[in-house]
Amino acid sequence: MEYILNTTKFILQGTLTTIKLYTITAILCIPLGILLALLKSSKSSILKNLVGIYTWIFRGTPLLLQLFFVYFALPVIGIRFSQFTAAALTFVINYAAYLTEIFRAGIESIDKGQFEASKALGMSYKQTMTRIIIPQAIRRVIPPCSNEAINLVKDTALVAAIGMGDLLRSAKIVMTRDFTIIPFMIAIALYLLMSSLIVTFFRKLEEKYSIGT
Amino acid sequence: MIKINNVYKKFGELEVLENVTIDIKKGEIVSIIGPSGSGKSTLLRCINKLEDINLGDIYVDGKKIDKNISKKVGMVFQGFNLFPHKTVLENVIEAPIIVKKLKRKKAIAIADKLLKKVGLTDKKDVYPSKLSGGQKQRVAIARALAMEPEVLLFDEPTSALDPELIGEVLNVIKELANEDITMVIVTHQMQFAKEISDRIVFMDEGKIIEKGDPKQLFNNPNEKRLRRFLKRVI
Repeated sequence: MEYILNTTKFILQGTLTTIKLYTITAILCIPLGILLALLKSSKSSILKNLVGIYTWIFRGTPLLLQLFFVYFALPVIGIRFSQFTAAALTFVINYAAYLTEIFRAGIESIDKGQFEASKALGMSYKQTMTRIIIPQAIRRVIPPCSNEAINLVKDTALVAAIGMGDLLRSAKIVMTRDFTIIPFMIAIALYLLMSSLIVTFFRKLEEKYSIGT
Repeated sequence: MIKINNVYKKFGELEVLENVTIDIKKGEIVSIIGPSGSGKSTLLRCINKLEDINLGDIYVDGKKIDKNISKKVGMVFQGFNLFPHKTVLENVIEAPIIVKKLKRKKAIAIADKLLKKVGLTDKKDVYPSKLSGGQKQRVAIARALAMEPEVLLFDEPTSALDPELIGEVLNVIKELANEDITMVIVTHQMQFAKEISDRIVFMDEGKIIEKGDPKQLFNNPNEKRLRRFLKRVI
């Protein structure tokens, strides 16, 4: 019993790193995703194409490759980041690419009549977006965002590959040292706990935004 | 009030408006009738710049229309286009507060009066999804009126409604006819158009074929195309 407690304590330290990375990524990639989605559904074809190239690259290559690129390859040309910064940067840019596409689809799924009614009432583009379109789009993007949020929990485990002491790596260290399956069982429990919390959070969010439907 | 001079409008290769000219006086009620695809709705949508014209000029209140036109001209749509995430009251006060910068209290006072006028005071805290089509359209009319427009455009306001709900919407529009507001109505309700309008405009294939006094136009149409159209719809 004491062994389990001590092991859990050790793994929890790694979990803290995972949670920190998760939180920073989640907080930063949402506004970035919204901004890029607005650019992508704007009228400017230059902006549209630039955002298109960005999502093409970051959705079309492995996240692990992107992480290696930032942490191992960029230093070759003199750009150096700490492990945590490299990981956070990669995750934010990668997840923002997915969110951009989700938010863009959400905005474009809103009926054209909503734009016309707003325009006929004299609202500006900004007012139309913030007051009418985005609140309705949020409802529709909650389920796909929930998927991404759970994926992110699991993807954080990739940082073990650049030697960061996250949840998975802490568990692996203990497992290798003591040669028991307990650390991995604890890791499984912790990942499931985090995913469940996120699922619950999104379910509540969905209820809150289901007003009027 | 509205001056439409030699207006042309194309969708790609298709000429939807061809040399349309008409003057509408202040307070006048004009109904536009004609077969589907005749350009009636497009003409209406050009007046508040939901569509841009290719040639010609449109003046409202003596000024060439620009992006501020929606401050003077309100619109009621065939598909209502209420904001589904806002209650009936919120739908009505939204634009007065964020566009006209009215105080919330003042906007609510105006909205209360308008909702009473359209007979929906008891529905003010309800979301649009809980309303019938006729009720939705009455809210949409109140929403447009809340901006105190000088001109109100109706784009087939009863075409999306079940037959038994048409009457309640037409009654609300008829009541508005007694006020000083200029109205342009695209409609397929011939009896209604005849009763309410000061003038009828008949369009076909993007052109105004005949316009005039409702009685004369319905009882003694000059144009063969109008006679054929009336025979089909009445």
